[in-house]
Amino acid sequence: MILPSLLLAGAGLATGLLAPFAALSTSEDDVAAAPENPHARAPIDVLLEVTEEAWLRAPNEEWFEAQAELFPDRFEFVEELLEVEGDFEGGWRDSQGEFEFRYDEEEDEFAYWQLITADRLTQGRLDYVQFCASCHGFEGDGYGRSGQHLRPPPRNFQRPNFKFSKVPGSYLPSDEALIQLVKRGLNGTPMLPWALSDEQLDDIIQYVKSLSPEGQGWRDIYSEVGDVVESGEDPWAGRVNEALVRGEEVYHDTAKCHSCHPGYVTPARFEEITGSPPRDELTYPLAKSTDNYQVLGYSMLILPPDFTWHDVRAGTTPLDLFETIASGIGGTAMPQWKNSLPDEDIWAMAHYVQMLIETYKNKPSDRARFMAGLRN
Amino acid sequence: MSLVWPRWASVGSRLLATSAALFALSTAVTAQDAVVNRWGPTPPVSSYGARFDSLFWLITALIGVSFVIVCILLIVPVLRDRARPGHKASFDHGKSLHDKRFTAIVSIIVFVVLDAWVLVVAMTDLREGYWNIPNPDDPATYKVEVLGQQWAWNFRATGVDGEFGTADDILSTNELVVPLNRPVSFNLTSKDVIHSLFLPDMRMKRDANPGAVNIAWFEPVVAGTYDILCAELCGYAHYQMHGKLHVLDQATFDAWEQEASKLAIAAHDANDTEAHWAWEWQE
Repeated sequence: MILPSLLLAGAGLATGLLAPFAALSTSEDDVAAAPENPHARAPIDVLLEVTEEAWLRAPNEEWFEAQAELFPDRFEFVEELLEVEGDFEGGWRDSQGEFEFRYDEEEDEFAYWQLITADRLTQGRLDYVQFCASCHGFEGDGYGRSGQHLRPPPRNFQRPNFKFSKVPGSYLPSDEALIQLVKRGLNGTPMLPWALSDEQLDDIIQYVKSLSPEGQGWRDIYSEVGDVVESGEDPWAGRVNEALVRGEEVYHDTAKCHSCHPGYVTPARFEEITGSPPRDELTYPLAKSTDNYQVLGYSMLILPPDFTWHDVRAGTTPLDLFETIASGIGGTAMPQWKNSLPDEDIWAMAHYVQMLIETYKNKPSDRARFMAGLRN
Repeated sequence: MSLVWPRWASVGSRLLATSAALFALSTAVTAQDAVVNRWGPTPPVSSYGARFDSLFWLITALIGVSFVIVCILLIVPVLRDRARPGHKASFDHGKSLHDKRFTAIVSIIVFVVLDAWVLVVAMTDLREGYWNIPNPDDPATYKVEVLGQQWAWNFRATGVDGEFGTADDILSTNELVVPLNRPVSFNLTSKDVIHSLFLPDMRMKRDANPGAVNIAWFEPVVAGTYDILCAELCGYAHYQMHGKLHVLDQATFDAWEQEASKLAIAAHDANDTEAHWAWEWQE
């Protein structure tokens, strides 16, 4: 019994002697002076239950009917229409909530709205917290623990900007477009291709949409919801070589892609195509700053990809590239090309860019030779 | 199945014989498949990789031999001393001096000779391989800072200026390019939970812990593209946390590094301090 008592006494004595030093090492002033790092917010008091239902913008009547067909288990269509008041208002009600077309007197606007129940938002929130919150943050503000220092930064869902939804920039992406995005993931970033069930994805997306602040994004009566840009048939199928020639011309001349992305021709060829001299360092991309994506209030610098070097985020098939080019990249200097160029030319550029990726990306010696040829 | 058992065969011996036959059959099938389909690890392509492979095979061989001996020691007495017509089952509890002496000698052989053998080989391999960390001040050492996160690997190399935390630092996600035949030294940490950087072809694995910096290294000796994995269950998408390691010969690598640094400068934003996550190199 003597040895344990001695040990205990020794431990007590040591603690007593060390305590003042421990107290010295952290004074309260230091703790107060530390600036708040939103990434380091401890995930305590995280509420998993959403108590308020949300009215979110829905595309239109056809969309709702398509939804009912898409999820027959969930969307049990009830033939009980909401009271129709006046000529311009109407709605549907089903097992998942209400959908309506209504007139806002204050704003003098008509819009389709979808009611997402609190239960469904809670379901979405549970999945969101499990799969998304580590980067996008528990409140969807993009300040998740794993999102710190990350460039490009994780999306802030409190701002309705999306880069790779493939929906033209003036529209909010439809549910299908968002589900496609989440399933596809973003190459070269920690945004993975998520293998979740359609129901989970649907719930998560409803929840993400509900993060829009009042009067913005999906809670804005003036927003419009759009689908993935229409691609049509590939007009160059079977004659890709012609597409490459046309693509090179459009890329460097009409569309002036080289003003941000690198140019992939020699200076002589550049003058031949465009009739004007190339910019300095034609074969390097030029980064541009945008206020639409911010971290800690600081605008992000966005580097347009060099297709022979960087990962293209939203897929590398000609169709993916067509959709990305045609819809533009929301909130950045990359404009929407659909309707400003004929589809045929956008397809030609898609083929041209795809050729660049396939021939030179991840082939360092081939790429070095190609670029050296352009620079001499 | 019309298997004819000898009259003297008891239920126990029939079971034993059947399971022995099945065991032999499955072993033969597995071994044949292993040879035909080349089971086993990918060839080691780092300077110390072969050491760990030979240690692995040494341990496997020692265990294999011990396993066979133990099986013989078990099966022979079971057959020899079993109950059969004209023979009563015989056994003892191993309490005689002879038995104790035998046990002691076997234990000494296993613990002193075999275990010490493995320990010496393992410690030599560690000292000359894994723990033989390259000098960070040597210009030949290619230094990489690794920041794990749910669910990706972020890499930062110094770029041509050899300094971390400058505009030309080469940043990449899930993709790492390293030079051939030069030691590559890692500083690893994590933003969120414990990850583990695993380069199976290089025989290198090291944990990335939040709040601490771990050190690891390897030297690739064969150019090519290899896997980068996470070897620590780190959450739902752990299985998707992987990338590619490209080993380039020195000339190709030099050209690549020049270009990567130049593109890094184009993407660098001096005022965006939140993005500058480099730390001072830990030795």
